[in-house]
Amino acid sequence: MIAVENVSKAFGRRREVKAVDGVSFTAVDGDITGLLGPNGAGKTTLLRMLATLVVPDAGAATVGGDDVVRDRTSVRRRMGVLSDARGLYPRLTARENVRYYGALHGLGGAPLERRIDELFAALGIAPLADRRTQGFSQGERMKVAIARTLVHDPDTILLDEPTNGLDIMSTRALRGMLRALRAQGKCLLFSSHVMQEVTALCDRIVILGRGRVVAIGTADELVAQSGERSLEEAFVRLLGTDEGLAA
Amino acid sequence: MNARRNGSSPGRVLAVARKETVDLFRDRRSMVVILVTAIAAGPLLLMLVMNLVASQMEKRRELTLPATGLEHAPALAAFLERQQVKLVPAPPDYEEQVRVGDLDIAMVIDAGFAKDVADGRPGRVSLVYDRSRDRARAVIAEVESLLRAHSSEWARGRLILRGVAPDVVTPLRIEAVDLATPQSSGSVVLGLIAYYGLFATLMGAMAAALDTTAGERERGSLEPLLTTPASPLELAAGKWLALALLNALVVALTLGGFYLTLRFAPLPAVGVPFLFGPSQYASFLVVLLPMILLAPAVLLYVGMRGRSVKEAQANVSVLLFAASVLPLLQMFMQRKEPEWLSLVPIAGQYSLLARVLRGDPLSAEALLATAATPILLALVALLLTARLLSQESVIAGK
Repeated sequence: MIAVENVSKAFGRRREVKAVDGVSFTAVDGDITGLLGPNGAGKTTLLRMLATLVVPDAGAATVGGDDVVRDRTSVRRRMGVLSDARGLYPRLTARENVRYYGALHGLGGAPLERRIDELFAALGIAPLADRRTQGFSQGERMKVAIARTLVHDPDTILLDEPTNGLDIMSTRALRGMLRALRAQGKCLLFSSHVMQEVTALCDRIVILGRGRVVAIGTADELVAQSGERSLEEAFVRLLGTDEGLAA
Repeated sequence: MNARRNGSSPGRVLAVARKETVDLFRDRRSMVVILVTAIAAGPLLLMLVMNLVASQMEKRRELTLPATGLEHAPALAAFLERQQVKLVPAPPDYEEQVRVGDLDIAMVIDAGFAKDVADGRPGRVSLVYDRSRDRARAVIAEVESLLRAHSSEWARGRLILRGVAPDVVTPLRIEAVDLATPQSSGSVVLGLIAYYGLFATLMGAMAAALDTTAGERERGSLEPLLTTPASPLELAAGKWLALALLNALVVALTLGGFYLTLRFAPLPAVGVPFLFGPSQYASFLVVLLPMILLAPAVLLYVGMRGRSVKEAQANVSVLLFAASVLPLLQMFMQRKEPEWLSLVPIAGQYSLLARVLRGDPLSAEALLATAATPILLALVALLLTARLLSQESVIAGK
């Protein structure tokens, strides 16, 4: 469970760029929560704060009850993060990339190798396991990065624009995987600027615009809240602009 | 599967070190360049320098002296020929040739030489040379000392003829007691080995250090890495461990190249009994160890400040320049080195290495004195790197 309370973060020499401005929401276990917003809405900054990479200026956030500033080590242990920068090591094989993160999480030996095999099989990249990631396609890289995110079986999973650069088949495979994780009772937080992506997958949607929460609810609730007929019109109405929402 | 193991801090440091080592050695092309350069440096450098030294000595041994007016001083000519000097007639434009450097020296015997000598006046012999030319200095000194020897031999003959003991005119007998052991001559060549050994400690891990710091930032692999339970200090320590091992390997290979070359290669005999055996090899490694540990730590810090490998390279080259000039200054410094210099990294190592090469024994005290500062600085650099890794700015700007 993720609880965000009135969190703010500003950048710039005089803190003049308010990337995240008083955001509050919760994401519960067994749900996929979507962060939807145009580019620059503050999604990545918000995820980085939850991932303990960036310290909030104000407000508090907890992951599974652990504070992201004070208990950052235990937050890191329980969380899997697919960050904006995927950053695989091109000279290492897919398996070595994942094994490295497994080792940093204290895993090793046969159980770790079994876990890697499982993940690669589920993602359909088992044949690539022992090839260097140098020549991988964007989709293949993404799948290795996802396997790396999940290697330690985290109970909270953050995904920053996970479908970026994936083809339709890979996107479908990823959705299947995220639903399976939801069925296991994991807490998933998923950011995207693509409306269809979020509506296809998420139980609850947090709409961000210019660093603030614009609306929260299920797809149906959001439509009702806006008084529009379709989801797309609801988003445009809630954000007050259609900029950046094009799929 | 919710059995979560947390792992230990040393375990994570080792995991980072192992991954970095594998990653570094996978970069075949860079590794081959680094290791081959390390091995080849010694042989190449030594061949070059020793051939240079040998050609200087050759010059001195087969002294050829262009001269005019030899017919006026047959006794002098005979003396010089007895001393293995090859006398050749000087070309008419000898002054010009000395000026442009085609000739090192020319000797001119005055036409009135025989008459002056017969009249009891000193005969005049002129030497034409350009003392600013390094190459010519040995020859000039040789010719001057030969002429002086001839002059004094002649004078002694005259005294004996007049029944005066030659000792009467030599109230002072100068006996030179040269404290330079056989090893301490040829110091330039030896200094070069010390210099290059130090240089290797700086260069050995450079490319790798930039790849694992600025390269990691550039590739975008740092951000996900920082979301793992590995703390900034553990990451810095693991990377440093891998780099220090690589650095040690490069330095060992570089010194190995020198050792093998001096031992087995058919180098020209330059009369310098080199002492670079297994014990000097080991002493070198011991003396250089603090630098082997320090250089990667500093490179980690400087590299991590760079957002891209290119940016980091620019920063590192400044550092490298400062570090490589220091021993050069010492090499040319004629005065005795001040005591505190042994505490300065690089400078301290350089003077210890020079001592090893002169055949002086290494004291544990001196070793500790030169090791203290580098090791302390290495720790500081590691802590600074860790601090840098815990700052938000390290992932910003991507």
